[in-house]
Amino acid sequence: MNIVVAIKHIPSIADDLPVKGNNVDFDSVDFVLNEWDEHSIEQAVLIKEAVGGTVTVIGVDLIGELDNALHLALAKGADKVAKITADDPAADSHTQAKWLAEAVKGMGADMVFAGVQASNDIDGQIGAMIAAYLDMPYIGGTSAIEVSGSAATVSKEFPGGVGMKYSITLPFVAGVQSAPKPPRYAPVSKVRQMAQTATVEKIAPTGEASSGLAFKKMAPPVATGHAEMIEGSSKEVAAKIVELLKSKGLA
Amino acid sequence: MLTTIEKIIFIILALTSAGFTFHGFKVIIDSIRRGRPAPELKNVPLSLVKAAITVLFQRTIFKARKGLSAIHMGLFFGLITYAFVNLFDALEGLVPGFDLIYGGKHIPNAPTGLVNAFNLIADVMSIFLLIAITVFFARRFIAKDKALNYRENVLLNPKVKAGGQARDSLIVDVFVVMHVIAHVLSQAYRLTDGADPFMPFASFLNSIFGASQTGVHVAWWVSIGWVMFIIPYLSRSKHTHFFMSPINLGLAKQNPRGQLDPAIPLTMIEGQKFDPGAKHIHDLSWKRVLDSYACVQCNRCQDVCPANFYGRPLSPSALEVNKRYLLKDATFGSHPDRLLLPLTETVISPEAVWSCTTCYACVRVCPVGNEPMADIVDIRRRMLIDGYEIDSGVQNALQSLATNGNWMSKGKRLRGRWAKEMQFPVKNATEEPVEHLWFVGDTASFDERVIPNTKLVAQLFHQGGLDFGILYQSESNAGNDVRRVGEEGLFEQLVEQNMEAFGKAQFKQIVTTDPHSFNTLKNEYPQFGGTFEVKHYTVTLLKLIEEGKLTVKNKLANYKVTFHDPCYLGRYNGGFTAPRKLLELLGVEFVEMPRNCENSFCCGAGGGQIWMGKVAPGERPAENRIKEALSTFGEGAGDKTQLFIVTCPKDMIMYSDAVKTTGNEGRIEVRDIIQLVAEAVGVDEVVAAESISA
Repeated sequence: MNIVVAIKHIPSIADDLPVKGNNVDFDSVDFVLNEWDEHSIEQAVLIKEAVGGTVTVIGVDLIGELDNALHLALAKGADKVAKITADDPAADSHTQAKWLAEAVKGMGADMVFAGVQASNDIDGQIGAMIAAYLDMPYIGGTSAIEVSGSAATVSKEFPGGVGMKYSITLPFVAGVQSAPKPPRYAPVSKVRQMAQTATVEKIAPTGEASSGLAFKKMAPPVATGHAEMIEGSSKEVAAKIVELLKSKGLA
Repeated sequence: MLTTIEKIIFIILALTSAGFTFHGFKVIIDSIRRGRPAPELKNVPLSLVKAAITVLFQRTIFKARKGLSAIHMGLFFGLITYAFVNLFDALEGLVPGFDLIYGGKHIPNAPTGLVNAFNLIADVMSIFLLIAITVFFARRFIAKDKALNYRENVLLNPKVKAGGQARDSLIVDVFVVMHVIAHVLSQAYRLTDGADPFMPFASFLNSIFGASQTGVHVAWWVSIGWVMFIIPYLSRSKHTHFFMSPINLGLAKQNPRGQLDPAIPLTMIEGQKFDPGAKHIHDLSWKRVLDSYACVQCNRCQDVCPANFYGRPLSPSALEVNKRYLLKDATFGSHPDRLLLPLTETVISPEAVWSCTTCYACVRVCPVGNEPMADIVDIRRRMLIDGYEIDSGVQNALQSLATNGNWMSKGKRLRGRWAKEMQFPVKNATEEPVEHLWFVGDTASFDERVIPNTKLVAQLFHQGGLDFGILYQSESNAGNDVRRVGEEGLFEQLVEQNMEAFGKAQFKQIVTTDPHSFNTLKNEYPQFGGTFEVKHYTVTLLKLIEEGKLTVKNKLANYKVTFHDPCYLGRYNGGFTAPRKLLELLGVEFVEMPRNCENSFCCGAGGGQIWMGKVAPGERPAENRIKEALSTFGEGAGDKTQLFIVTCPKDMIMYSDAVKTTGNEGRIEVRDIIQLVAEAVGVDEVVAAESISA
């Protein structure tokens, strides 16, 4: 089983997002691994542990700091890692998907996983676009993938507690919503060991793509209102709520 | 006294007994030697002498259970006396004419006074021994003291569950009673000339049973026969403690309390590659294997364990007991394979491993110098390496620590944000030299509930003319709790990051807000080359007041306060005086809770517990502590406000929550000591005023 996991390095939102011109100020923001990619790595490693195979993790190196995320993936059980040396922090999802698809093409993947979304891309573009470029079927929003022989059973969850299972013939591309188990913890000593011993394959970006979109303006959202905290004893609070409801004509 | 045939039997018995005893202790020593290397001990002979003195005065047992400890003391002196008694009994049997009765008048040139003194001591000690054993027997078998039990959810070796400890106790109890009575009888039967005034107990028995040569023989054989049996038995019983506890005390941890042993031994044995931490029993250092032999299974550690208190399946004593039974099954029994079972299946459940707050109470209270807590950290270390699924909250915290250097998933740049809101510039120690490098810590830097206090500390440092600065985004979590969660690699990474930051800064000493940071910076960073003078902010504040740089303007007589010693400031590092001295200077009415200083009760946050996603049911330690404070205050604080004073940012959170969850809002208020200092000293800035009310 040959599984390729395409990951994305994204600006961290642990800090306030710095804005410069009409884009993120990439010089003063940390980059982190997309949260959903942690799940797609976990999903790939779980399949490998169940049926054997190799897991290759690949991502676009936007600012020259992707190695950390790749070493982490190795510590969690990936076998090979590769980075597309782009050095372009502003490369959008379309561009990244094209580069990734070109790189994955020759890998003979049975399955390609990508996080179903990222905080800088919430319409789930990367996985679907890779599928399109590779001319493979795509299934998004998976919550569990089990492989047996040349077919996979894929679970998806829908709003309202509805679950659905799909049977899919390999190869295919999946946008992983969550792995069936929480992503495992990789002890730092293992990650550091990987950093010392592992080799990261470097791939030059090939191909061009564009979303056709241009940023017009980027600014922090302006708060238009805020919650009012009602203080006092429970009786006083209740009285104020009643008053408030009356004043709005609701009671 | 003995006939030739009896002498031959005695010698055969003695040799057999010695053989079994030798075998028993050889097995124990071999088993201890299979443990990993422990940190090197210095000047062992001196430590052993000190331990002998400690044992002689029974110093360590009086840390808890004072009444039972006094009984234990009687038992101890009784048994010491009986070592001599048995020696003389043997001589009486083997050497014709050797007889201590009547001041040894049958022995030529006997020092009569000395013999009489010995006889009197032996006679009185016999009574003490019988009383002591009766008390202990009654406690276990009649009163059924609950302190000797374990919670239902605690993992126990099947033999312990089946009552192995009780059987063991019973055998030794019966031995002591039979042995003592037989010995005294053997003396009583000798008293052919009536009472010996220096042997009142034996004389009393003599008045009932008279003198009898047959009696002497029978009683002698019962008394000594028992000894021949019991001495080899001890090596297979919890009572190995007689020999192993003093040795264990002599070889006890010499490093500071706050310095954990490394995850991989520093002393390497050639050709041996160690994985970090412990999976099997012999992955523990030899010292911790020895712990289980020194343990007499008194459960004092369980009494003080905050995790055990609120129903978690952790009992530090069960850990030691299980270790001992595992070793016994493997080395004396027929199950050597059990040594290769994971500790998490044989001695402590994974849930119990993750319940420990690393408060050190168990280690502190242990009379024989055991360190169950250290085992737990070693087990955690290996579980993490082996990919055990850890609590999601802990995992999130660790992941954030690895990427952001703090456990709150906050960006590094936000660490110094509070400082930018001050009315004066707070120096960046990486950019300009400062005298005091203030290591603020995660909670004090990021937590909205604590930041007002952080600002007050800055304000008062500033008012006191202290030349200080902070590291801003270059500070990372100090790693104290990371290390105690078992993530040694991440701890090392954090140490490296901080050492790099310290390297960029110029300072004379470090001052910390968080006792946890304080502990690791003071006790563990030196191992990584970081030999700094480290102070807790309570010490710095006290100094500012004592030197007159801050003046107490308003005495706070309107407050009735009690103080909670944080584990990592108090029990670990002895920081008991500064906070109390400060409170005294502030003029508050101070009352001490029953559990204070060394015996302080953990808030339940340490050792990574504050990160746990899952909260177990039951009365939490912090809630119990608030109740303790309230009962200490009693009724009638009058118009005084009752305050619970803390000196640890984590305590601020833990206890503020506990006041709410126990429904005690309005009765007691949690305050950081800095809030009181600020109120007493007076703060002229706007920032501070809003902080106090916050």
